[in-house]
Amino acid sequence: MMFDAVVLQSEPAAAWTAMLPAILLGLTGLALLGIDTLYPEETSNTLLAGVSAAGSLLAFGVAAWFLVAGTGQEHTGGAISLFRDTMVVDGMSLFFTLIVTIVTAMVAVASYDYLSDHAHRAEFYSLVLFAATGMTLMSMANSLATVFISLELASLPSYALVAFLKKNRGSVEAGLKYFLVGSVSSGVMIFGISLVYAVTGSLVLGDVAAALGDTEMAGVLGVGVLMIVGGVAYKTASVPFHFWAPEAYEGAPAPISAFLSSASKAAGFAIAFRVFVEAFPLGAIPAGVDWVLAFQVLAVVTMTLGNFAAATQENVKRMLAYSSIGHAGYALIGLAALTAGGPNGDVLGASMAHLLVYGFMNTGAFLFIAMVEHWGVGRTFEDYNGLATTAPIAAVAMTVFMFSLAGLPPFGGFLSKYALFYSAIEAGFWWLAAVGAINSALSLFYYSRVVKAMWIESPAQDFEIQSRPVGLYAAVLFAGLATLLLLPGFGPVIETAQSVAAALF
Amino acid sequence: MAGILDFAPAIVLLPFVSFLVALSVGDRLPKGGAFAGIAATAGSLVLAIATVLTVAGGQTYDATIYTWAEGIDAVDLTFGVLIDPLSAMMLLIVTLIAFLVHVFSLGYMNDEGETGLPRYYAGLGLFTASMLGFVVADNLLMAFMFFELVGLCSYLLIGFHFREPGPPSAAKKAFLVTRFGDYFFLVGVVAVFATFGTAAFAGSESFPALAEAALNGEASVTTFGFEPQTWFTIVGLLVLGGVIGKSAQFPLHTWLPDAMEGPTPVSALIHAATMVAAGVYLVARMYGFYAISPTALAIIAFIGGFTALFAATMGLVKREIKQVLAYSTISQYGYMMLALGGGGYVAATFHLMTHAFFKALLFLGAGSVIIAMHHNENMWDMGGLKDKMPVTYYTFLAGSLALAGIFPFAGFWSKDEVLYETLIHGLGGSPLLLGAYAMGLLAVFFTGFYTFRMFFLTFHGNPRSQTAEDPHGVRWNVKGPLVVLGVLATVAGVVNMVPIEKLLGIGGIDFLHQWLDGGFEGLTAHHYADLIPYSSSYIGSEATTVAVGAAVSLGLALAGSGLAYLLYNVPEPIRHTDRLGRIKAVLYNNYYQDEYQVWLANGVARPLARVANKFDGGVVDGVVNGVSGVSLFAGGRVRRIQTGVVSNYAALLTLGLTALLLAFGILGGWFV
Repeated sequence: MMFDAVVLQSEPAAAWTAMLPAILLGLTGLALLGIDTLYPEETSNTLLAGVSAAGSLLAFGVAAWFLVAGTGQEHTGGAISLFRDTMVVDGMSLFFTLIVTIVTAMVAVASYDYLSDHAHRAEFYSLVLFAATGMTLMSMANSLATVFISLELASLPSYALVAFLKKNRGSVEAGLKYFLVGSVSSGVMIFGISLVYAVTGSLVLGDVAAALGDTEMAGVLGVGVLMIVGGVAYKTASVPFHFWAPEAYEGAPAPISAFLSSASKAAGFAIAFRVFVEAFPLGAIPAGVDWVLAFQVLAVVTMTLGNFAAATQENVKRMLAYSSIGHAGYALIGLAALTAGGPNGDVLGASMAHLLVYGFMNTGAFLFIAMVEHWGVGRTFEDYNGLATTAPIAAVAMTVFMFSLAGLPPFGGFLSKYALFYSAIEAGFWWLAAVGAINSALSLFYYSRVVKAMWIESPAQDFEIQSRPVGLYAAVLFAGLATLLLLPGFGPVIETAQSVAAALF
Repeated sequence: MAGILDFAPAIVLLPFVSFLVALSVGDRLPKGGAFAGIAATAGSLVLAIATVLTVAGGQTYDATIYTWAEGIDAVDLTFGVLIDPLSAMMLLIVTLIAFLVHVFSLGYMNDEGETGLPRYYAGLGLFTASMLGFVVADNLLMAFMFFELVGLCSYLLIGFHFREPGPPSAAKKAFLVTRFGDYFFLVGVVAVFATFGTAAFAGSESFPALAEAALNGEASVTTFGFEPQTWFTIVGLLVLGGVIGKSAQFPLHTWLPDAMEGPTPVSALIHAATMVAAGVYLVARMYGFYAISPTALAIIAFIGGFTALFAATMGLVKREIKQVLAYSTISQYGYMMLALGGGGYVAATFHLMTHAFFKALLFLGAGSVIIAMHHNENMWDMGGLKDKMPVTYYTFLAGSLALAGIFPFAGFWSKDEVLYETLIHGLGGSPLLLGAYAMGLLAVFFTGFYTFRMFFLTFHGNPRSQTAEDPHGVRWNVKGPLVVLGVLATVAGVVNMVPIEKLLGIGGIDFLHQWLDGGFEGLTAHHYADLIPYSSSYIGSEATTVAVGAAVSLGLALAGSGLAYLLYNVPEPIRHTDRLGRIKAVLYNNYYQDEYQVWLANGVARPLARVANKFDGGVVDGVVNGVSGVSLFAGGRVRRIQTGVVSNYAALLTLGLTALLLAFGILGGWFV
């Protein structure tokens, strides 16, 4: 380790090594396919899950090492540009790589039990890894072209994964809907990209920003920017491109719901942050193209709609799907509270930190659903009645996730939401924080319903829980522990996030 | 300078450790954790003695131990330790009494086969620790917190026998009544912070010092539109609310007689050294703040004098030994308040000390009698115990003489000084103080009477019941504490023989005056003497006044005791209370204090609460329910958008995007 660090400092490694996390994820996906080719008949579930988890953890470790060592950050010479500026590795991309890889690892471990009775396991794991590769690339994409390609690289495996339960009508239907809405959204986005290209004559984000100043086609640019907003809204499951989310999350295998609602959403925010901050900076954008206002509208509508819809659900998984939409609304504050010359690094960093915490608590919640599905317990709140008596440890973890999602102390979600709302107030958008706080209060209603069902209500029937799925338990407990530890450990997280975010401006 | 005073926090922590030990492993220790408590209080006692010796050498200590809330542009909230002559003396008293009570408990609780001993010793430990924390507190907020802990512990210990009907109810009453007073105290604490920005007791930046400076126009404080004098009086009276509750002064004294339901050693601790003493100690602690407010002083004095008399009359007719002692406690703390209000800071502290000794003695003596009587507390079933329990008899006699204020026992000196200080300040042009003095003086007669009525009924005459003929014996662990306290109750007066000094002209034997004159500038007795708004005047000369005052009060005490001797020191005493006629009923019923307080609760507080409840249930809940109803309805609507038909989604998505495009296009002027 020491030796490596010395080498890094004395003789810069080849620039492409900065993309090592993405490369590792891609290679792991290929290795999984290779294993499947070598043992087509009886591929070991343990081996597949182990390789996937190991690959993503390795990528996580490398990304973490890079982040600590300062790769692509200002004090080591700034962002590392690759492939003629179409890709960039900097603190923000590494931060989002961390979120994506750790969620991937948890999902891989949890899928070990979830997939024990299914065929085509190798395809499942490799699709997850390829999607994760796409998401990591999304965080590095520095050109509208690579943005779109990496987004599709993340999306296409996701469609297949949602429809993975081929014999389950819900899963297949959800996959198809996801694909159709995704296609429309991709169409909208690429149309927007082409309009921006028409106005600025470039796809590289920095060049787009440079060309903004002397454009006379503000209207065309505006339409293009709004359409890109649409594409981003699709990937982050924000209104009005959110329609796929409840269906896809509900129909998909629960680990995939976790994967999509945590990692995929975070990656969507990664491109949103980079594209809008780098390509359409607030100082240079023509006055009529007010994307901050658009994000303000989206943030308010998204969090309100997500929370209100979640409040009336009967199905826990669907409730979580809507809550995930609500959280997209909170994270959008990171863009909605930007101002020219304001504390933009703080705002954006707070949003990134919230996405990291959210990555743990939301993944954990969906993996708890996966565990419940694995046991064959029903899906509604009533079915959860008295679950704590039979599965107390898992119920404790779920309670942690629910209260953390609601933003209650002493869990990580409390501080991340606090930092987010506080930064919004700091930037002068107290009303955004107020809307967020009101929505959080409302969210406590439906989150606590789960807790109440598990702990207070008495069970309608005896649960027949025979198995204690090791992988699911491990993943859920890991997520729960992380959610707890992110309260005392929130300091370094928010500092890192805000310093790497400040580097963008 | 690392000296013994740096170990002052240990005095507080040792009993706290014994609390933890008794609580966690008490049931596995011999004697239910008693030895842990004894060891801890003994350790505290040793440290307290060392502290007193160090303070006698002229050292003091004031340090912030821990800042638990750091104010940004606001006040810091801290825990700190303040050791000066006053707190050092109090530490000694509290640790000594607590130690003796722990030892006594071996006889009263363990030997009597009580159950739940770990809980008992845990309570004693926490009680002692809380009181010690209160004593060393260097600011008002910390004092308040430990004050509340003291209240909590008294609740736990009074209700120790929680399976019987009486104790839980008495515990609740003690808790609620003192809490009523503490409510004002809390408001007062906040007011002190808001006014001065600090709640420290000592130093030039302390709130008494700031208040004094503000009155002299040397400092400015926030007085919320009042005259500083008026505002300081208001704040002082708010804090006084807590004092009146804890020290059982009229009209919040009603909890104390009921608190006799607690185990007798606990009563001794509550009455002599902890709970009840806390109130008076608080006034003494922040005396500089009260001394600048003549109104507050007058109110304190008058409440004190009235309570002294009022409680003494109620003590005249009680049948149970502990009840008599309870009313005597209320009465004696009335004297201390009288002294504080009358400008006699040293006198009050002196009486606090002597009272701690003789009241602990009397309670432990009563406890010994109760053991002997198989837990029958009715004095009319006793009699003739004199010969069967001589140690208890003689120590109890010493305590009784001290309580009655008979020369030369401890109580005589302190009570005499209380009355003397009040008299000279009253003569100096304060008729109100003279009135309070008169009440205090009258109470001396009653005190002598009820004390010896209790004494004779208990120990003299013929045994009036089977148990009294053959009482249960008591062991060393009961006798030992009694002897120690008996000696103290007899001789503790020597620390402050002011009358002797004044009459015979022997200088320098007013040790307590000298003691309390040391320590922090601004917390000394002569500083307080400069502050108080009274002037002194004498009947003839100073010596004459001393002689006359002492003679009158001693005469009254002897008269009261003598009357009791005539009426009750006979082989077969009869009940003379019938001669009182209708007054007897009034006294038995404690002037219907409980009745009118219950009426206040039922007739006034309850209807108000009902209205508040209606408002809460109707308006507040209505709004909340309305909001949630609207939310759920809106949620249901939102949910309906999600039809499940994918072409609808595509349409809505496109429409949404179009709406956005149109709105922003028109807003941004894209289409021109």
